[in-house]
Amino acid sequence: MAERAGATVELREVTKRYGDTVAVDRLSFTVPAGRICVLVGPSGCGKTTSLRMVNRLIEPTSGEILIDGQNVLADDPTQLRRRIGYVIQQTGLFPHQTVAENIATVPRLLGWPKERIQARVDELMRLIGLDPERMRRRYPAQLSGGERQRVGVARAMAAEPPLMLMDEPFAAVDPIVRERLQNEFLRLQRAQGITVIFVTHDIDEAIKLGDRVAVMRLGHLVQYAPPAELLAHPADDFVAQFVGSDRGLKRLSLLTVGGVELAPVDRAKLDGAPVLPSSMSLRDALAVMLSSEAQEAPVMDGDRYLGALSLQQIGRILRVDEPA
Amino acid sequence: MTPGEPLVRWDWIASHAGEIGQRVGEHLELTVIAVAVGVVIAFVLSLLALRIPALYGPITWTTGILYTIPSLALFALLIPYTGLSLLSAEIGLVSYTLLILIRNIVAGVRGVPVEVRDAARGMGYTDRQILWRVELPLALAVIFAGIRVATITTIGLVTVTALIGQGGMGYFILLGIQLFFSTALIVGALGSVVLAVLADAALVLVQRALTPWTHAR
Repeated sequence: MAERAGATVELREVTKRYGDTVAVDRLSFTVPAGRICVLVGPSGCGKTTSLRMVNRLIEPTSGEILIDGQNVLADDPTQLRRRIGYVIQQTGLFPHQTVAENIATVPRLLGWPKERIQARVDELMRLIGLDPERMRRRYPAQLSGGERQRVGVARAMAAEPPLMLMDEPFAAVDPIVRERLQNEFLRLQRAQGITVIFVTHDIDEAIKLGDRVAVMRLGHLVQYAPPAELLAHPADDFVAQFVGSDRGLKRLSLLTVGGVELAPVDRAKLDGAPVLPSSMSLRDALAVMLSSEAQEAPVMDGDRYLGALSLQQIGRILRVDEPA
Repeated sequence: MTPGEPLVRWDWIASHAGEIGQRVGEHLELTVIAVAVGVVIAFVLSLLALRIPALYGPITWTTGILYTIPSLALFALLIPYTGLSLLSAEIGLVSYTLLILIRNIVAGVRGVPVEVRDAARGMGYTDRQILWRVELPLALAVIFAGIRVATITTIGLVTVTALIGQGGMGYFILLGIQLFFSTALIVGALGSVVLAVLADAALVLVQRALTPWTHAR
């Protein structure tokens, strides 16, 4: 696996105007290398426009976009796009090309030698769980929705780009497939260390995938923060409403049992209570404790007893960040 | 029709097999030249119309007028300029293919899904690469539908070019009319229909070979 670092992406005062309408207004944020930044907001908030300015499918009216310090506006758009992965909701796979030809798109544009392209295609197909021998010669019409979406991601990663842009890539598949694709994508992204800018209208997807979440509204950036921070301290009523009234519970799913302060209760007293592995999310722990009617439960890191988690403590964590 | 004469005289067909073969050759040659030249001209005009959308109206308007001129009148109009020649025949035949071909090429390219074009651009295809590697291959099925109609139409029209001395199956039709001889008439008419059916089938096979993705399951 090519262990190459992702790029740092910085937007500075990026604005897009169409006549008198301002689609994106002085948008500024930085995505650290190798991290996933999710742009989220209601439709028409400017998130897709912002994404498409990064690879210049839309030209910004003003502002700067820097990839590893280089202004993308100084580059040739075609060359720029070949260095940036691009995935869209409807996949945009080429119907007249096989899976292998689709994945090979950018390496071919870059003039890689044949053997290198073939090796990379096989490697990626295995990474996304498609058997190269069996699937290489299939056409997109012969694939399921989930398989098509995987091929779309593989195609975007083919030339080992330091940055990928993804526009609602998992919105068109059913919820079960979507969850599996999200997990696979996270694994791939961590393994390859690619920086990702990801657009979605689904706040749960944003919280699950984002290292940073940018909430946008009417062309403005309302809040830019890690998911836990967003849930704990929404910047205003709009964000609070957008993340949902169950944001406390959502936040619990981001925290693990092992990460909270546990009470030093005698292990023997907790006999009969369900055992919680330290890697379990607080949300799952809450569900387990409620269904077994346990007030306290032992937390285990493998064979090691760490302490007890109580319902009261989960309640305290839920309450701690309630808005004033 | 001469009384007592049978509808088809097989002995005449047998004794004229060589000439029938020659006329079939002429018919095919006139057709292939017309469709090939028509495709080239239509392709250039279509690219123009795709690049400058304002031209699409005038182009289809002009070729539409050409298409509606009765073929007999068109050949008659051309004779003072280009005579009783192959050129006269081909000018007429080509002009009848243009409307159908241009409409189908433009519709085929415009029918390429927006997201496919967007993905191609987003991955760094140039406009020219998008046209040649994405739009035209995906438009092939629709373009071929146009070529099939143009070919069948042309095969029918070629029978008329016998009037300006260009041979083909129309020669037998003329002969049949002049001599009140049903066998020649039937050979000419039926021959032209058989040619059209065979040509269409051949084009279907070519299209299937060129667009394997449309029938892979």
